[in-house]
Amino acid sequence: MNAVQRFIRSRVLLLTAAILIAAMCLSVLVQSQSQAALSRTVDENSRGLYDVLVQAKAPTGALLQPEIANGTGGISFEQLDAIRKLSGTSVAAPISLVSRVTQNLEAPRLDAMDYLGYNAGLAGTATADQAAGATAPEQWPAAESVLSDNTKKYRLTASAVTSDGVSEQTLFKSTAEGTLGKARLVEEKAAGGTSIRIAAPRDETGIKFPSPAGGSEHNLFNLSVSLPLAPEVTESVVAVDPAAERALLGSAGDFLAPLEKAPPADARDAGAIGRYFEGLFTNGIRLDELQEGPDFLGVKLKYWAPLMTQYQQAKRTGQLTADSQAIPLIVRSGTSLDLKYNVRIEEIDDAGKVVQEVGTVSRSLDKDYLPFVSKDPFVLSWPGSTDHSSLLGATGNFNQGLYTPAQWSTDFAAAPRYTDGDTAANGAVDKTAVPGEWVTVNRLPEKSANGTPVDQTQREPVDERAYRENLETGKKTAAPLAMVYGTFDPSAVAAAAGDVNKLPLGGYDPTPFTLVKDAAGNDVPATELEPSLSATGLASQSAGAITDYYGLAAARGYTENAAVIDAVRVRAKAPGSWKEAQPDVEQLAADIREMGLEATIVAGSAREDASIFVPGYYKDDAGKESALGTVQQSWVRQNAADAVTGSLSGTNVTLLFLTLCGAALLTGASTVSYIRKRRSEAGTLRAMGWTQRRIRSWVLEEFGVGAVLLAVVGVVLSLVSWSLATALVCVAVLVLYAAAALFAAQQLRHRDVIDQEPQHDERLIQVDSPLTFANRQLSTNKFNTLSLAVAVGVFGAAVGGLIALLIDIPRAAGASALSGLAAAAVAMPSILLALAGVVVGLVLTLVTGRFELNAKRQYLGILQAMGWNPDMLRQVRLFENALVGTVALPLGVLGALGIGLLLAPYAALWAGVAGLVAVLCWIPIATKVVQ
Amino acid sequence: MTNPTNVQRSRRGGSGEVPLQTRANTIVKAADHATPLELSDITIRYGGGKGGAEAVSVVEGFDLTLHAGEMHCVAGRSGSGKTSILTVGAGLTLPTSGRVFWEGDSLESMGDDEIADRRRALIGYVDQGGALIDGMSALENVLLPAVPDGEVDQRRDMAKDLLDLVGLGRRMRHRPAQLSGGERQRVAIARALILGTRVLVVDEPTASLDRASANRIISILKDTTSDGIAVLVASHDHELVRLSDSLTELI
Repeated sequence: MNAVQRFIRSRVLLLTAAILIAAMCLSVLVQSQSQAALSRTVDENSRGLYDVLVQAKAPTGALLQPEIANGTGGISFEQLDAIRKLSGTSVAAPISLVSRVTQNLEAPRLDAMDYLGYNAGLAGTATADQAAGATAPEQWPAAESVLSDNTKKYRLTASAVTSDGVSEQTLFKSTAEGTLGKARLVEEKAAGGTSIRIAAPRDETGIKFPSPAGGSEHNLFNLSVSLPLAPEVTESVVAVDPAAERALLGSAGDFLAPLEKAPPADARDAGAIGRYFEGLFTNGIRLDELQEGPDFLGVKLKYWAPLMTQYQQAKRTGQLTADSQAIPLIVRSGTSLDLKYNVRIEEIDDAGKVVQEVGTVSRSLDKDYLPFVSKDPFVLSWPGSTDHSSLLGATGNFNQGLYTPAQWSTDFAAAPRYTDGDTAANGAVDKTAVPGEWVTVNRLPEKSANGTPVDQTQREPVDERAYRENLETGKKTAAPLAMVYGTFDPSAVAAAAGDVNKLPLGGYDPTPFTLVKDAAGNDVPATELEPSLSATGLASQSAGAITDYYGLAAARGYTENAAVIDAVRVRAKAPGSWKEAQPDVEQLAADIREMGLEATIVAGSAREDASIFVPGYYKDDAGKESALGTVQQSWVRQNAADAVTGSLSGTNVTLLFLTLCGAALLTGASTVSYIRKRRSEAGTLRAMGWTQRRIRSWVLEEFGVGAVLLAVVGVVLSLVSWSLATALVCVAVLVLYAAAALFAAQQLRHRDVIDQEPQHDERLIQVDSPLTFANRQLSTNKFNTLSLAVAVGVFGAAVGGLIALLIDIPRAAGASALSGLAAAAVAMPSILLALAGVVVGLVLTLVTGRFELNAKRQYLGILQAMGWNPDMLRQVRLFENALVGTVALPLGVLGALGIGLLLAPYAALWAGVAGLVAVLCWIPIATKVVQ
Repeated sequence: MTNPTNVQRSRRGGSGEVPLQTRANTIVKAADHATPLELSDITIRYGGGKGGAEAVSVVEGFDLTLHAGEMHCVAGRSGSGKTSILTVGAGLTLPTSGRVFWEGDSLESMGDDEIADRRRALIGYVDQGGALIDGMSALENVLLPAVPDGEVDQRRDMAKDLLDLVGLGRRMRHRPAQLSGGERQRVAIARALILGTRVLVVDEPTASLDRASANRIISILKDTTSDGIAVLVASHDHELVRLSDSLTELI
């Protein structure tokens, strides 16, 4: 029988070679998978929309939190041009925070259908040929009303509730009572004829909420009750350059295409534009023309409507000056503001007792709200009402008051200052927000839209930390008037910007805050904070961006071009991944710094979660402060790609090391098994006259076959993967195998038995029970005991590692952008490796467990023959396994903890627990198996 | 092999030739309490399981009554069923059919635990080659049967006496690997006697031993019978066969 036949016949050697080959393949798989995932992740994510963030020279930290309200400005147009002219610059996109826009919504009202039917005297000019869409008089329906001929007494309870994402806050709750009834037509003789008017029933008192609500009145189609509160909504606006912005955003910036060419100077003259349209209306304009409108300087009339509203408002209040600018503005296609208005209607008797519940109506200002163009957001309809006002068609009146125009403010909320805390393993940083001074918010405007004082008792103002800063606006004030040009889809912009390197400085879509712990530190369901209506909360919602930097200069109060650019985002010309482009990007940043500007390299950065504890957020009337709790927000962390690279490389090395450790253990176990099986065979050969040298050759030849096999596979794998690590692993495996061969040859050599004196050690524990018997057996066979314990420990550690990975992968996938992607990409090879570890551990336990199986069966038979009953024999087996488990337990738990800390630090504890449970479960199972 | 013919020969009093009896002449006495071990119509078959292998009948209708102080030898060639009869008699395996009585009580009515307890008190079993537990000294091996009853300390002196008795008083701290085959066999006999056994079941005690060692073992076994201990021994050692009180020769 030659060496190859002997190698094949020796199943142990065959198994050893197969295990080592599997280990080599596994290591290659792990490397290739994780390296590919790493390369892919870094390539796809380490370069965002831009590479360098340029700011006016100021101290900057490592974290690039969008500074929503840090609008200190400082970069001039000349500096912007200089940046653009640098040879390494591809795109230089300026961005500035302009201001906050305060939108006073139209006063809400409750309309109750009280339609009086057609009356020529009231319908007036509402005929088919006078108003587009008007219904001919003979086709008007009969009169109808939800009110009764005789007045009834009603109680209206109006309330407004807002949500800041944490809890609902009732802005106010107000009640008013009065009688209402069906309106009547009153004909009165007047000079020159008969006048017709709509009058309330004679005994109607009407209903009036406190000022500034105007009370109730009848008109042609409705009884209209003015409701309290004009909600105030404040949002932020940034300024961008359309051409540069589109270059950054790609197709997601297509909405900017019409604005790539800056409007001419006369397009920014708000007075000129207003006068043009006033003249147009004075001369007459058809409704269809009004709807589509003539274009003015290439812009359709409908886009000028907001400007016209502001123009009229400013003109009436005397704010319109020769310097007033029209600012092209794009806005979000919706917001996440949440404000709900409820009116409860009850019919009551004279004593105030409820006779009948008429119903509750509500309106919600939600995602459909659009600043500047929203109409009638809070018109509520009495239950059962039908809107007949469309009978008149579209009047085409272009009246002030269609909605209340927005007011611009340069006094806006600034981001809080943050203090860094502990840094977690994944780079997340704990932070504490440092608030500014207390300010009173939730306060009604000082004056209503018509200039009358506002009853401040309608709301209860609340003291909040404001984080307010005043912006230096220059010497001369100006009145920027918004020209809403279009809307953008924030999700499309976010998708274009990617999860890494989102537009900073409060760009289009600031990263949201998520509340994770309450003020007491207790975990709460993750709640994404919605924008606060108070305008002072942590979260701020960007309304949009103006696209005219000359208009921005006006908004800042400058009459000429000035240093109004807060930051410039620069993309380098160098193509490829961050690693490829790094030298060019760094050179570009150095060039920019030479211009006296602050240049921060953003490429290679990634977002990481930061926990922010926000203290002293609320203060009640008694002055008691309460914290908001802990919120999480994603931050931009520089060089995160490098950190991920290092982390994954470390993980690779760890995985390879663990693979080799497992292979070494299994090789050791199988070699010992081989030696035991061949010992008698070697003795027989010796008896046949074989020399020691020949026996050693006989052993080494068998191992040599396996070594050749391993070497061939190793070379092939190294060439295929073309990786030094693979070659090293293969060499390590070969060395391992050669050591096993030499060890086996050494162990099979003849040894002269020397008659010895009794070796029994009296210090040994006396055998007087199944437990002490098991202990003696294990201590007699220390090598087997230790081998089995190590095998069980490996099994426990592998189970722990697998559990940790399974637990940690979902967390890692959601932890941050880059590390999450990388973790998700290497999840499968990691799980495969952990599963392989579990299998290796099981095989190890089986192999080592079989070493003494026959001997164990023999002495169990002896014990049975001498009268040990089955229960005692079971105890012997149980105690043996329990003792092995006791040795294996620290190995398994510590091994699992170690693997957990290396591969899944957040689940390391679970890994330890899983390792403990796995080893504990092995004890009864092994007891059951060895019957 | 199918249905081998078992021939039983009895010799009483240890003197003169005993008549050879065929199975039809087998003497079957009624069980009584003075009879420590009785085998009745024992049949042992192996095989015939799920694999479709043909069943091999090793022993057919074997009867034996072993009295106190009697040494009965079961002789026969290898594979004739000697060890099987011994393990059945010691209650280590169950016969295919037939009954085993220990001091008049049938094993059929006993559970595993009761059999183990009764075996410990009644029967000392000495395996072929004197199987000892590695890692334990000769003395510890002798004391092992006392572990279940928690009498290790109480029996320690007796164990030493027994080892003295079998000529191993100076080797009681030796481990099995340090003892010769005959010495291991003697340790095993001492271990079988540690609990005051009334029946000694010994399998091939002199196999692979030199004559002098074999004679020493035989002498020990013979001495035990004088203490009223019944000995059931399987052997084809002529000297042992000659000195036994009765003989069953399996063909």
